[in-house]
Amino acid sequence: MSLLRAAAWVLLKEMRTEWRTRELLTTTVVFVLMVVVLFSFTFDPTREESRRFSPGLLWLSFLFAGSLMLNPSFTREQANDTWQALRLAPVEPFAVLLGKIGANLLFLTLAEWLLLPVFGVLYDVSLLRVLGSLAGVLLLGTLGLCVVGTVFAAISAQARMRELLLPVLLLPALTPVLIAGVEATAGLLEREPRLDWTWVKILAGFDVVFLAASYLTSEYLAEE
Amino acid sequence: MRSPFLLPVAGLALVGAAAYAIFFVAPEEATMGAIQRIFYFHIASGWTAGVAFLLAFAANIAYLAGRAPKWDWLGVASVEVGLAFCTVVLITGPIWAKPVWGIWWTWDARLTSTLVLWLLYVSYLALRSLVEDPRRRAVACAVFGVFAFLDVPLVYFSIRIWRTQHPQPVIAGGEGSGLDPVMWQVTVLTMAALMGVMALLVWQRYRLEALRQQTAELALP
Amino acid sequence: MRDGMKNFESIFAAYMLGWGVLFLYQLSVGKRLRDAENEIQRLKEEKKKA
Repeated sequence: MSLLRAAAWVLLKEMRTEWRTRELLTTTVVFVLMVVVLFSFTFDPTREESRRFSPGLLWLSFLFAGSLMLNPSFTREQANDTWQALRLAPVEPFAVLLGKIGANLLFLTLAEWLLLPVFGVLYDVSLLRVLGSLAGVLLLGTLGLCVVGTVFAAISAQARMRELLLPVLLLPALTPVLIAGVEATAGLLEREPRLDWTWVKILAGFDVVFLAASYLTSEYLAEE
Repeated sequence: MRSPFLLPVAGLALVGAAAYAIFFVAPEEATMGAIQRIFYFHIASGWTAGVAFLLAFAANIAYLAGRAPKWDWLGVASVEVGLAFCTVVLITGPIWAKPVWGIWWTWDARLTSTLVLWLLYVSYLALRSLVEDPRRRAVACAVFGVFAFLDVPLVYFSIRIWRTQHPQPVIAGGEGSGLDPVMWQVTVLTMAALMGVMALLVWQRYRLEALRQQTAELALP
Repeated sequence: MRDGMKNFESIFAAYMLGWGVLFLYQLSVGKRLRDAENEIQRLKEEKKKA
């Protein structure tokens, strides 16, 4: 089975599993919403300055949500003992990893897009006119988050305290994504929207580097 | 048979030479005055930490390639020592910044990158302490170590570009600032001295890990 | 002149704390090495007796 087809198969399996209960998706959406609302209590979004902080708050909520919802992609396999089945399947380990990255990307992106209108209302920012560029920036950033996050989730699945370990491993590593994402989004949300390509290149570079690294290390992750 | 004291003594001599150079050979800096002498220790520690992390990266790859335990031992040894030198950078930076800028932390690009680096490699140690099985631990740490090191340039550049867009005081002379030739030589000497210290520390930590393996084997019935 | 004295304290603090970190790490590793070596001696002797 070709790599992409196998990955798509894994992705569909993840989607089917999630569709049965939808618990991961709903909990993630609620969590992101709560974080954004709570942030607005600390910064009082009616003031001009707090509108300056809003891109940062947006990305922080994505980062926190991501580091919490990435664990289940592997712990669910362990709980149901389906991990062996995946390991023994006649597909490349990278296909399994890619499928899981794709699933996490899909779920997190869904949560992000459900949040955006709420964010626009709470912080009085006009998102419609920059929707295309914003979608691109969000996609590149979330992809980076999911690539590194899924690999780290696989690593920490074998460790104690994995729910706390994953954010500990992930958050420093995602510094470039956070900085680039926030700066790019801030540029788009200004009165005169502009897309700063430097940050887009950094996000894209991050994605490429870590996709390659995931490919090269996937066989070692599959050993457990 | 070479004396086991030869290398430590040579290392000590190098450190002594560097200390002498820093305080008696290097000229006084024009604007900041004497406090600039912290620079040599600060910058040299930064480079030494970087070399230690590079060594860890090489060890991680070597482990994944061949699974020889000695690479895992070298990996953790280099990370710990690199982290120690990182800590030195994070301590000397603010001590330098306070008299010069009046604040402890200026979000200077290099110092901020070092902080993120410190967090990243501390999480390496967290991972290491939380995986029980030695073989799984070695694989987990090796993969994480590879990712961490690949992240380093991305962290550095994103923080640097971020800081140029929102300028703040720079601690150790900006990227483009030139260095008086004598200062440059003193800096290189200090780097050599600290790398010698690093090598000695890594060697001992490596031995400790090797002995732990031996202990585990002996403890088996 | 007073400025120079204040700076001297900072330089002193920086070098002392910096070397302190490295020294403490050395002590920590040294102690654990000795403990490990003693443990190995102990285990070897136990094996001889057994």
